[in-house]
Amino acid sequence: MKKSQIVMFVMLLAVIPATLLLGMRLPGRSYYLLSAVVALEILVPFFMAFEGRRPRPRELVTVAVMAALVTIARVAVPLPSFKPTFAVIMLAGIAFGPETGFIVGALGALGSDFFYGQGPFTPWQMMAYGMAGVLSGLGFAEGRLARKNWVMGVYCFVCTVLFIGPLLDTSTVTIIATKFTWENMLPIYLSGFPVNVMQGLCSFITLFFFGNAILEKLERVKTQYGMMESEDGI
Amino acid sequence: MKKEENDAFSQCHPAVGFFFFVGAIGLGAMILHPLYILASGLFAVTYYCLLRGTRGLKTVALSVPVFLLLTFANPLVNHDGQRVLTYVFGRPYTYEALVYGMAIAGMLIVMLLWAGCYNAVMTSDKFMTLFGGVIPTISLLLLMVLRLVPNMIRKVAQLAGARKCIGRGAADNATKKEKALDSLNVLSALMTWALEGGVITADSMKARGYGTEKRSSFRMQKMKSSDIILLSVMAVLAAAIVRLIAGGGTAADYTPIMRITPVTGEHLAGFAAYCVFLSLPTVLYIKEAVQWRISRSGI
Amino acid sequence: MAHFEIRDLSFSYASAKGKLSLDSVSFDIQRGEYLVLCGRSGSGKTTLLKQLKPVLAPAGKRGGEILFNSAPIRALSERDQAAKIGYVMQNPDDQIVTDKVWHELAFGLESLGCDQKTMRARVAEMACYFGIQDWFHRDVANLSGGQKQLLNLASIMAMQPEVLILDEPTSQLDPIAASDFLNTVRKINLELGTTVIITEHRLEDIFPHADRAVVMDEGRVIADDVPRSIGKLLFEQRNPMFTAMPTPVRVFYGAGAEGKCPLTVREGRTWLSETFPNGAKTKSLPEEKDPAETGEPALTMKELWFRYEKDSPDIMRGVSAEVPTGSLYAIVGGNGAGKSTTLKAICGINRPYRGKIKVFGRPVEKYKSSELFSRCLAMLPQDPKSLFVKRSVREDLSEMNADRDRVQEIAELCRIVPLLDSHPYDLSGGEQQRAALAKVLLTEPRLLLLDEPTKGIDSFFKETFAGILSELKRKGVTVVMVSHDVEFCARYADMVSMFFDGQILTTDTPRRFFGSNSFYTTAANRMSRHVFSQAVTAEDVIALYGANREALA
Repeated sequence: MKKSQIVMFVMLLAVIPATLLLGMRLPGRSYYLLSAVVALEILVPFFMAFEGRRPRPRELVTVAVMAALVTIARVAVPLPSFKPTFAVIMLAGIAFGPETGFIVGALGALGSDFFYGQGPFTPWQMMAYGMAGVLSGLGFAEGRLARKNWVMGVYCFVCTVLFIGPLLDTSTVTIIATKFTWENMLPIYLSGFPVNVMQGLCSFITLFFFGNAILEKLERVKTQYGMMESEDGI
Repeated sequence: MKKEENDAFSQCHPAVGFFFFVGAIGLGAMILHPLYILASGLFAVTYYCLLRGTRGLKTVALSVPVFLLLTFANPLVNHDGQRVLTYVFGRPYTYEALVYGMAIAGMLIVMLLWAGCYNAVMTSDKFMTLFGGVIPTISLLLLMVLRLVPNMIRKVAQLAGARKCIGRGAADNATKKEKALDSLNVLSALMTWALEGGVITADSMKARGYGTEKRSSFRMQKMKSSDIILLSVMAVLAAAIVRLIAGGGTAADYTPIMRITPVTGEHLAGFAAYCVFLSLPTVLYIKEAVQWRISRSGI
Repeated sequence: MAHFEIRDLSFSYASAKGKLSLDSVSFDIQRGEYLVLCGRSGSGKTTLLKQLKPVLAPAGKRGGEILFNSAPIRALSERDQAAKIGYVMQNPDDQIVTDKVWHELAFGLESLGCDQKTMRARVAEMACYFGIQDWFHRDVANLSGGQKQLLNLASIMAMQPEVLILDEPTSQLDPIAASDFLNTVRKINLELGTTVIITEHRLEDIFPHADRAVVMDEGRVIADDVPRSIGKLLFEQRNPMFTAMPTPVRVFYGAGAEGKCPLTVREGRTWLSETFPNGAKTKSLPEEKDPAETGEPALTMKELWFRYEKDSPDIMRGVSAEVPTGSLYAIVGGNGAGKSTTLKAICGINRPYRGKIKVFGRPVEKYKSSELFSRCLAMLPQDPKSLFVKRSVREDLSEMNADRDRVQEIAELCRIVPLLDSHPYDLSGGEQQRAALAKVLLTEPRLLLLDEPTKGIDSFFKETFAGILSELKRKGVTVVMVSHDVEFCARYADMVSMFFDGQILTTDTPRRFFGSNSFYTTAANRMSRHVFSQAVTAEDVIALYGANREALA
């Protein structure tokens, strides 16, 4: 078993539950702190796996370009509610697989927070964006789902609305909810819902019109320049 | 010159800054005691305004409505509490929930203010100094992202302009759909451009030996003895505060029954430690400003 | 001892189906030598340079061998290769990896795993040697092109290489930044003894300093000699590379002179003085006629004022000009003077806060944008890549006009028919330029704006491009271009304007315009102005030389 996989298991089975247990024993109201620590703990195995792989320059550069596009997707479009952020991450996940997809998402979140300001939400955002990459990577790995524009579009819409959006809303819950009952948390999730649907729609539109065109571009740098191969250059 | 560059605390080793902000935000997230929130808020506002000047005051003013909104919204969803002020939609609107909302809102605003200070102090190169050695590849990636983004923003404008000048691209009176599709076109062209440029960047990395040896990490800042002293002081203070929190000294319950631990006796020392910890950046700022005045008048 | 020994080297790209990109190339490069490699785009210069640094060598079939310090270069460890052989590429932007100047300087040292102390010392040393102290803490994003390229050079020199390979390092820079950069390279060669291998379009700036020039064509070495003799060889071979030679060389052989060939303007002046010790009889060529007044001007600008932000300084400070229909109108001037801003103002991307712009007699704001950019006005941007959004040139062109015949026609006009099915990014700089022009021309403009059209393209492509422009002119298209390239403007423009300090200061025909300048003018004019007047191109000088020689004889 690879070192990073061991770390992943240790994290999931030991460290994160331990954090949660310890957190419950903390007095007062530490939900936010606890959740942020868990979010960071989720990052660790992914980061370690990536570091351990010693990626080649061309892979690094491609990942950096995709992560930068995550930031750009927030500003490039002149319509205020149209942000194809998740589409970019999910395409990276589809093209490079779940692990690299996670890195693109997490780094995209961290990078854009350097431009728009970091905050208590940053660890959460990194984790959730990373998860978007993982989800799409898993969904389309080994030909599980067909890489058709509409399939990618629908899949990403569903992921955004049902998973990534609520995950981000949960970070809001841990910060501002005063009572963890459905009645108390529901308004936060409900107010997030239209935003998530809008985000999901953007992902859908982007992938529906440009999904394969963009995948082709990534494919092109792979084949034209042998970017992701283990042996490039000489 | 930007205000941040005059700030003594920003000149300290990045570890000092990082430890402080993790402390300020992390400890702050655990304490719902109104007095502590108030103290943290005071120091956050002061330091934030020292860093940002009048712009800082504006941000602080803008956070007031958010504070009020969160405060008054909480009793709408949390109906616990003893003292019912009124009924909204047939549900009780309680005094305890209102105060609870105020505490949560205060905590949130204070955290955001500290995050604002963090953004001003912990620039990307400081981040790199801290993490470049620990996660070298991810740190390098982050650097590359930070370099690419301004380039890309410029390129987006160029691409859109170039398309406009050949009659492509969305006109001013285009529909939302046209605009969205056109900007996706631009984004897709941007991607090609960036990926092709990336091939050269990768070559340039190879040309400079990337991956041939275990990478070292160049740091501009050295850890000075004053940084070590500062870190030790902060560690001692933080330990005292954690002990206080663990011992329930900062406990504050609002609903269903309001129970706020009084800050007296043994708890007073802990509260003082909290205040001293949070005041460090401000104190350093003022100390340096005073020293500068004195040294100038001495000449 | 030879630094590099290239023995019978041949190479074909994996994708090229056996076509040789390098064909039995053999020559030595001496330690400390300053060697210029020239040849047109696609002659195999870059391919050869990359073979000298195997980590950069593309996949393909290789024959022959390269010895570095008398040992096969492929046996060199990756570390030594990185440290000893420095490589600077064309594009200043893309070579930079990190976001801060100081960090970029240290990048190579970090890769080699140097310790903090060494890195500090080396970085400080480099910053001082290259004059980077003032912008040491800046974000890379805020540097000019010239500064970026200097940073790339410094960051490579920090590893203290024995050899410096430069692949068209100044093609994306303006002339002043370019000559600064080349001076620094020369300084490195002279003061540190670093071997320099450089390819360049701007031979005027480096030919006089180079120890040796190697000329390549179709993957072969066709000439290898000291620079002074190269011109003669190429002239006798009637090689198209001759057009890339520095002006004094072209004039010398073009005029049929014999003896020691001048390489610099100074030598050219001496040569002319010695040839005509009593001055010239025929001093100038017949007067150029002003372009005929054709009634309505294609473009009128009147007192344009513009600034980017409310508090920023004015970029345009009362720009006024009138462009006659059917002419090729050039605007020259320094970097950042506001030339490109003016073009953008004409297109409505920048809106002047005062002044009037009329296109074919009608105020520009009266046009709907669909009217303005169809059969009327179009602009070719500085970076032709900005126009490519599809995966082949053909698809990109079809985006503009679905009519296949028209696409074919324009592709023929722009001489890109064989490239139609290529990916736009696989073309060379000059080809991209023409493909982008084709895309622009498909809007059927009557007024064509060009922003630095000759940037980064070599002398042959420039000639092809000029050919296309004159064909357009014949068809009645008015062309306005802004450019740093005085040689190109002098040769092909009908009218030239000087842009300075946010205004258009003077406008005249190229001969009168450059003929009356003494600094901001062509090499031909600087070389001949003491003997002839208003000779601004090599052709002018050659014609006058011929006329006067006849008179002498």
